[in-house]
Amino acid sequence: MAEFYLQIKWVHVAAVIASGVLFFLRGGAQLLGARWTMAAPLRYLSYTVDTVLLTAALMLATILHQMPFANGWLTAKVLLLVVYIVLGSFALKRAKNRRQQAFCWIGALLVYGFIVSIARTHNPLGLFAML
Amino acid sequence: MSANKKLWGGLALLLLASFTVLLWVGGEIHRVMPPIPAAVVTNEGATVYTRADIEKGRQVWQSIGGQQLGSIWGHGSYVAPDWTADWLHREALAWLDIEARRATSKDYAQLAPDVQAGFVARLQPQIRENTYNPETDTVVIPTDRAAAIKQVAEHYTSLFGNDPKLLELRKAYAMKNDTVLDADHRHVLTAFIWWTSWSAVTVRPGQDVTYTNNWPHDELVGNQPPGQLLLWTVFSVLFLIAGIALLGWHHARHREEEPVTFPATDPLASIAVTPSMRATAKYFWLVIALFLTQILLGAITAHYQVEGQEAYGFALSNYLPYSLSRTWHTQLAVLWIATAWLGMGLYIGPAISGHEPKYQRFGVNFLFACLLIIVVGAFTGQWLAVMQKLGLAKNFWFGHQGWEYVDLGRFWQIFLFVGLCLWLTLVGRALLPAIRKGGESKSIIVLLFLSTVCIGLFYAAGLMWGEHTHLSMVEYWRWWVVHLWVEGFFEVFATAVIAFLFTRLGLLRVSTATVAVLFATIVFLSGGVLGTLHHLYFTGTPTAVIALGASFSALEVVPLAFVGFEAYQTFKLGSATPWMQRYRWPILFFTAVAFWNVVGAGLFGFLINPPLPLYYMQGLNLTPLHGHTALFGVYGFLGIGLMLFCLRGLKPNLVWNEKLLRTAFWSLNIGLAGMALFTLLPIGVIQLSAAIEHGYWYARSADLMQQPIIQLLVWMRVPGDTLFSVGALSLALFVVRLWIAPKRERAPELAGDVAKSRA
Repeated sequence: MAEFYLQIKWVHVAAVIASGVLFFLRGGAQLLGARWTMAAPLRYLSYTVDTVLLTAALMLATILHQMPFANGWLTAKVLLLVVYIVLGSFALKRAKNRRQQAFCWIGALLVYGFIVSIARTHNPLGLFAML
Repeated sequence: MSANKKLWGGLALLLLASFTVLLWVGGEIHRVMPPIPAAVVTNEGATVYTRADIEKGRQVWQSIGGQQLGSIWGHGSYVAPDWTADWLHREALAWLDIEARRATSKDYAQLAPDVQAGFVARLQPQIRENTYNPETDTVVIPTDRAAAIKQVAEHYTSLFGNDPKLLELRKAYAMKNDTVLDADHRHVLTAFIWWTSWSAVTVRPGQDVTYTNNWPHDELVGNQPPGQLLLWTVFSVLFLIAGIALLGWHHARHREEEPVTFPATDPLASIAVTPSMRATAKYFWLVIALFLTQILLGAITAHYQVEGQEAYGFALSNYLPYSLSRTWHTQLAVLWIATAWLGMGLYIGPAISGHEPKYQRFGVNFLFACLLIIVVGAFTGQWLAVMQKLGLAKNFWFGHQGWEYVDLGRFWQIFLFVGLCLWLTLVGRALLPAIRKGGESKSIIVLLFLSTVCIGLFYAAGLMWGEHTHLSMVEYWRWWVVHLWVEGFFEVFATAVIAFLFTRLGLLRVSTATVAVLFATIVFLSGGVLGTLHHLYFTGTPTAVIALGASFSALEVVPLAFVGFEAYQTFKLGSATPWMQRYRWPILFFTAVAFWNVVGAGLFGFLINPPLPLYYMQGLNLTPLHGHTALFGVYGFLGIGLMLFCLRGLKPNLVWNEKLLRTAFWSLNIGLAGMALFTLLPIGVIQLSAAIEHGYWYARSADLMQQPIIQLLVWMRVPGDTLFSVGALSLALFVVRLWIAPKRERAPELAGDVAKSRA
């Protein structure tokens, strides 16, 4: 499996970018009043990207023998992922008004960025570790 | 004589003839099965193994999960190797090394091909010769072979123990360290595995094939498919085509009947839910709990294929080793499906007759308690067995029997059988007034009841073997249970129950449904009963098994070729009346049953069933391909469909959460297809190619199964499995929401009123 490490890593990274971009576009468009943001094809595309992302993540964890709740940076990523999902769900669906929607959308994007910084630094403090 | 009577007569004759032949074959297997010698001795008189070693070794093998950890004679699980094939190849190589070193001072692998061929030419007659002497009850082997056996035995005792040198191999095989704790037990285990490989390579007296019909494929020892495998494979395809043609002709001349006038309101809406019917609700909660647990155990079992002893860094094999997670995964598959059917039987009995027998509710509750005790008790015993805490003396009765799908300890098997008899009694006494009443419906009710009787009573075949019964005979009786259930009486039950429900809904004429079901039963059982033998081609059976098994198992596929008609009819009836919308989801699940019957049972089943393909494919990933798509695809979906049907009656005035059911339906279907097409099928094809080219041992070896492409394909299950899990969770949530914070229909939306207002 280690033979495919680079390819799997790039699939994971590509899925992370696709997931983030898709969320950015859907959330932003929703704030601008678009109605297509929860259209079935987009939702299914999002599920597909996230499933690929998760599969690649599990494969990488197994290849590297770095596991959530054993490695601090992975634990932070998993916990923040939950925060990202909750915020994202409010931004696209559950928020009661536009203000709440905007707050959750920006919050989710900040969390997303922070998760990426943790992944880049392999440190639970993410970009703060570079300070 | 009416068409009904003729069909009943035909069915009775068919069953009589089929079971007579099946029992005769059982007698033949007993007559020619490979002998277990009193002693295996060298030509210098040294004892290598005794019968006591071989028999005790089998007990040890059973106690660690038996067929749930690797396989024997191709029957079992798929991560660890087939021990028969693995031992045979290792023993041959060990012998070749011994001889090569003696003659050339080099290992066999270092020799030129022409020199190697010379050694192989000496090996084959020696290893294939049948030296069993019935008078002395001994097998005599040359000293060199005994030395080769010793080498392989040392490898095995290290493997099943805790030798750090073999840690990576244990991980590749998903074996925990100290799989067998006791050193003496490890030694006798080698005796049993050796005996299975001896049977696989030793020619039968007076014949030129081995006791296992030259299975497994391994050219090094001269095991190649006998010509009759090809012969009967070709004939089986011919029988299949002829069968399809005949059934097509039958369907073509079947005249179209006048359309039924559908009832204006749901006839089942007026059924009074009795206390015992209401008590079946807990069966469906249990179905959901067992189904979710089964999926979790399936995920763990699949993950062992990539991490061997761990789950994301956690040393899981210390607490829940592979053989146990797989045992529970396969057992729960049968248990939750059976629980759905039990619940449905108990619900529908009083619903049909309108009669609530005395103490019926108590019986339903008592049976439920028994089921819980059986599941918890049997699983505890299996855990204690596999963790090597139970001891061999108690293992057969309370631990792990090691026979896939009938793994329960004997005590728990008997308890389950008593439970099934109690179920039959409860369903029977509720149905009796309806049967006594006679009339048009009698035949179809009797047929439905008979199929449930057969499901219950045929489990008794699993009690036909004892602790020391010969392996060939255990396999014979084990397949009575597994095969006759899934490819016989389950099929009949599925056909009868769906047709019966449609008659109750007033969508099918009772007379038409009865004739169709009786005819379908005859068609299913004409191949189904003797089709049992296709599991037994290579389990130490006579060659007649190949001819009969190939011919009749081809006939099993015939009715599946026409399932499309049934699926279309079922789907069409789903929109026959406005009130049928209430049954939309059960109907869709029944349609999925028909789809997977064609794909999982028909296509993937026939892929592996003819003798020549099975010679190479047995125990490769093509087997779970058929297993998952047929067992879950057909009977799992049927169980869910029946559960939903009963829930509609139990909770008549609730609004169903369409979104959850839609998610469940499509996720389960697409997830199952994903698992089959992205992982099981491609891995199976790679293994098949390896089995044909290099030998069966290689197709199951760590060398092949640890290759990056195989590991990658294993991971490709994750998307499909995730989707499948989402579907199961949606279904669970749907059921929970029927009891917790349910949404009630507004009065005008009640079924009858809807129909009236639309009319």
